[in-house]
Amino acid sequence: MLKVITYLKPYRIAVVIALILMLTELGVELVQPFFMAKIIDEGIQVNNLSAVMKWGGIMVVFSIISFAAGVINSFYAAHVSQNFGFDVRKALFEKVQSFSFANFNQFPASSLITRMTNDITQIQNTVFMSLRIMLRAPLLIIGGLMMAFVVNVKLALILSAVIPFLFIFLIWVMNKGRVLFKNVQERLDSVNGVMRETLTGIRLIKAFIRRKYEVSRFATANKELKDRTVTALRVMEVAMPVLLFIMNVSIIGVLWFGNMQLNTGEVKVGEVVAIVNYATRITAAFSIFSFIIMAFSRARASSSRIVEVMETPVDLLDRKDADSVFAVKEGKIEFKNVMFQYPETETSAIDDISFTVQPGQTVAILGATGSGKTSLFQLIPRLYDVNSGQVLIDGMDVREMKMESLRKQIGFVPQEALLFSGSVKENIGWGKENVSMEEMMEAAKDAQIYETIKKLPNQFETKLGQKGVNLSGGQKQRLSIARALVRQPKILLLDDSTSALDRRTEAKLLLALKAYTCTTLIITQKISTAMEADQILLLENGKLLAKGTHDSLLETSKLYNEIFSSQSREESRNYA
Amino acid sequence: MLKEIIRPFQYKKMKHLKIEDSQSKNKQKSKNYFATLKRIWYFLSSNKGLLFLVLFMVFLSSALGLLGPYLVGMAIDDYIVTRKMDGFVTLLVSLGVIYVFYSLTIWFQNYWMIGIAQDTVYTMRMRLFQHLHKLPIPFFDKRQHGELMSRITNDIENVSSTLNSSVIQIFSSLLTLIGTVAVMLWLSPLLTLLTLIIVPLMFFGMKWITKRTGPLFKEQQRNLGELNGFIEETISGQRIIKTFSQEKKVTAEFLEKGERLKAAGFWAQTYSGLIPKLMNVLNNLSFAIIAGIGGILALNNMISIGVIVIFVEYSRQFTRPLNDLANQFNTLLSAVAGAERVFEILDEEEEFKNERSLHELPQVKGEVEFKNVTFSYEEESKTVKNIDFHVYPGETAAFVGPTGAGKTTLINLLSRFYEVDSGGIFIDGYDLSKVKKESLRKYMGFVLQDSFMFQGTVRENIRYGRLAASDDAVVEAAKLANAHSFIVKLPDGYDTVLSQEGSGISQGQKQLLSIARAFLANPSILILDEATSSIDTVTELKIQAALQKLMNGRTSFVIAHRLNTIQNADRIFVLDEGRIIEEGNHDTLLKKKGFYYQLHGKAAASGI
Repeated sequence: MLKVITYLKPYRIAVVIALILMLTELGVELVQPFFMAKIIDEGIQVNNLSAVMKWGGIMVVFSIISFAAGVINSFYAAHVSQNFGFDVRKALFEKVQSFSFANFNQFPASSLITRMTNDITQIQNTVFMSLRIMLRAPLLIIGGLMMAFVVNVKLALILSAVIPFLFIFLIWVMNKGRVLFKNVQERLDSVNGVMRETLTGIRLIKAFIRRKYEVSRFATANKELKDRTVTALRVMEVAMPVLLFIMNVSIIGVLWFGNMQLNTGEVKVGEVVAIVNYATRITAAFSIFSFIIMAFSRARASSSRIVEVMETPVDLLDRKDADSVFAVKEGKIEFKNVMFQYPETETSAIDDISFTVQPGQTVAILGATGSGKTSLFQLIPRLYDVNSGQVLIDGMDVREMKMESLRKQIGFVPQEALLFSGSVKENIGWGKENVSMEEMMEAAKDAQIYETIKKLPNQFETKLGQKGVNLSGGQKQRLSIARALVRQPKILLLDDSTSALDRRTEAKLLLALKAYTCTTLIITQKISTAMEADQILLLENGKLLAKGTHDSLLETSKLYNEIFSSQSREESRNYA
Repeated sequence: MLKEIIRPFQYKKMKHLKIEDSQSKNKQKSKNYFATLKRIWYFLSSNKGLLFLVLFMVFLSSALGLLGPYLVGMAIDDYIVTRKMDGFVTLLVSLGVIYVFYSLTIWFQNYWMIGIAQDTVYTMRMRLFQHLHKLPIPFFDKRQHGELMSRITNDIENVSSTLNSSVIQIFSSLLTLIGTVAVMLWLSPLLTLLTLIIVPLMFFGMKWITKRTGPLFKEQQRNLGELNGFIEETISGQRIIKTFSQEKKVTAEFLEKGERLKAAGFWAQTYSGLIPKLMNVLNNLSFAIIAGIGGILALNNMISIGVIVIFVEYSRQFTRPLNDLANQFNTLLSAVAGAERVFEILDEEEEFKNERSLHELPQVKGEVEFKNVTFSYEEESKTVKNIDFHVYPGETAAFVGPTGAGKTTLINLLSRFYEVDSGGIFIDGYDLSKVKKESLRKYMGFVLQDSFMFQGTVRENIRYGRLAASDDAVVEAAKLANAHSFIVKLPDGYDTVLSQEGSGISQGQKQLLSIARAFLANPSILILDEATSSIDTVTELKIQAALQKLMNGRTSFVIAHRLNTIQNADRIFVLDEGRIIEEGNHDTLLKKKGFYYQLHGKAAASGI
């Protein structure tokens, strides 16, 4: 909670102003019964009408002041809470952006999303309430008590006797609430998670008619959310009746002792009236307490969830001594005895791999599914760090570079074409600042997608849904290739990104790529693509089984021959 | 420092949310408002019995709440002012009893109401989720996932927190209000009238404020939804964001959306924050009025001091429920803003609409016919045009052609993810537009282009093809799909949990799992849409035989770029730009030396 509260610091002036305004309001509220006592004791009881008028007039003036203070307070409170929410959200988002993939595995996406919206909203609302009414309640109680002491010490003592017990009770409830509400937020995560899966997998769910299955899965998550919420709220709601009862009992006490003291003459009638009045006010303040402790417990639960994310150590960072001037110039790639293992797995994904790619070369990477091709790719832009060995670019270890300057020169086309919702133009130009229309058209042409874009209803302005739905698989792949090409990268990584292209289009694409002066690594299944490469790497179970040209591999590698024959069968039939 | 002081007054007015001035629009607005409330009530009313109990408790607690101060007034008037002791104890004891019951009734009403409210919210979530599953695919094409997720969390959350407190508050406020006015009238009609002076003022103030907060709350929820959508996309797209090192760009966009949410939130909070302040000032005014005028009256011996004290108390009792009502109205508006976004989805037309009159498709043999089918995703460009073909039971049909030729579209139409614009599709002679969609999909098995894995174990993911399948059947299917060998190498074998982000296994392995899924489903019509695109050719050869076996005896549709996958097809349809331009089997098409020959020839030429 404390860590999150520090985000209020930039707004401390506004916070102070809001609190002063709130105190003004409170002050007015507290002196009201005092005026009331004056009206009764100095005005009515001694038949003095002008005193009634005087005190009545003062009351009106004070309430107008309090109104003005309240209105201005609204502005400050909203300002502080909205900016606070915005800042926390920003910090959280930036933190998440700096996460490595290993970090991402610690939190399900749906949970990160809930934390960034729902949890922050909870705290934000609590801040707003605090600046407006929350502190009011305790202050009202303290102030009410003080005024009661001013009016009559003996009667006030009766009132104050119960208050310490009440506070202890409240703190107990609040602590309980924090745990319970954390549970609630966690259940909200799982509801969110099932929802997200449904949205991503909707085609599959429909195809396999698993509607009822999904609904029952959701029902489980939803039921748990409901149960936890009910438990948490019910515990919270016990507070109010208990508080009300204790306070009401103390009112009875005041009446009883008041009456006794009247007889001894130590207490005036007006004083008893005023103290009963303060007691009811304090009771009213306690009744909003149940609301306050609820908000506070929730806020505490939510901030602990936010802090959890913020305090996650990012395990993939720029080194302090990272070379800030380095830029990829030539694009020479070198792997030296690289070992790599995904976190929390037992077998290594990359096992002692070494190879060198000269600048401008094209290298094809072949291997069975799960042989480590994509894992190998991920080490180049440093999505993961090697466990041992080195990945060098232009002779420098990637861990010694700034990630940004390294990745800036890399064009990456993933296996699964990931597009963002937005226009075609936005998607192609996504990876480069200040990109011109000409550059985008050029990249689109080279990626063999230009003609397709021309045929879209609004050409480059056509809106794509999330993940580029309504484009065919091949079209999505080519768009994501265009996105990489527009950066004019020094290193181009194509992760089986032509799998959905027909061969004619693919051949044209590969031809166009030759015009780019970059080092190209292609993961492919196709011998025809591999044949064009300067070098072929053949992977099996994370090991580099063989490397060389098409011809040399045909001579030396059994697996390569196997792959070759699996593909040449159709060709030979064709020529037969 | 000065900057910080004046900053709260420099927020841009949300001009685009002009408060509706025209009468007609205003009416429309309030009509919508009540319609939404009515729908929330519909959800609530399934718990009518309990709700009635709650209301009864509210009634009791309100009555006790009124009785308490009345007895206090009596204690002061009859005992303290007169300094009498006889019967004072009895009075205090009865006061104590009243307080006990007061607390009990409050506890009971809260206890039950929480149950009712959360039940309602549960049902709303369920309904929303169930409805989502009934919506047609085109609905999902245009939406951001995170935006929809926001509705099931953030928007429903709004409804939830309102229901928890508001229902009780509103009823108790109304009851207290009525009771108080009645007692006040009985005590002194004149003072009552004076107290009521502030009511019209309250009314106008409220109207002025809520006219502004209503649209602002909606705007706030909308912005929150958009932000949620954006966050979801950036998390799904981390791989791209990182490798392109676009964190700054993404953050900038995030902040822009955040700013918009902030502005809407600022005005919503500021305006709604005015309500209690307004109520407070009116409250204090009435206090002063009663004291002042009451004083005059008391001087003239028209009323007693005790009555003034009681009146002051009652006037507080009177303004407090009004105050509460005003506040509740505000949270109600924010709940309505949330609920409207939920109902917006519930009002989307489901794909099974009007299906009641349609019949179930009986067990199919698998004869598939497309008759002059035309379809487009968007109005302007036709995606497929005048498609005609006929596939007989047990045959394998392949669609080939350049990307974007419309191959997947035909599959989408056959499985009725989308509706044809014109023409008809027939299975075993049944017009598909006349049968229930799910009865059709029951006979179909799919291996789709993107092999989606759910969060769960490998076993669960394969079993998705047939939920009733035994563990042995799952392993059997995995073996057929050549997935068994890699599965057993996973840390926990079949019980390895796949995270949704899909780390742990490769794309090709996911495809093998999808194929295993289809094996398990055992459908009459099989659809393989780029089922092996990410699988290396050696593995592909190994599962080719199994796939052949799978296709045996079923009508199969295959889309593939690797032509060896389709050479054995009985019929090959060559598509280009949404039309079937050639048709035949591998050999006849090659002999024809047309488009297929070109596709194939070129491919082969570049291959060897």
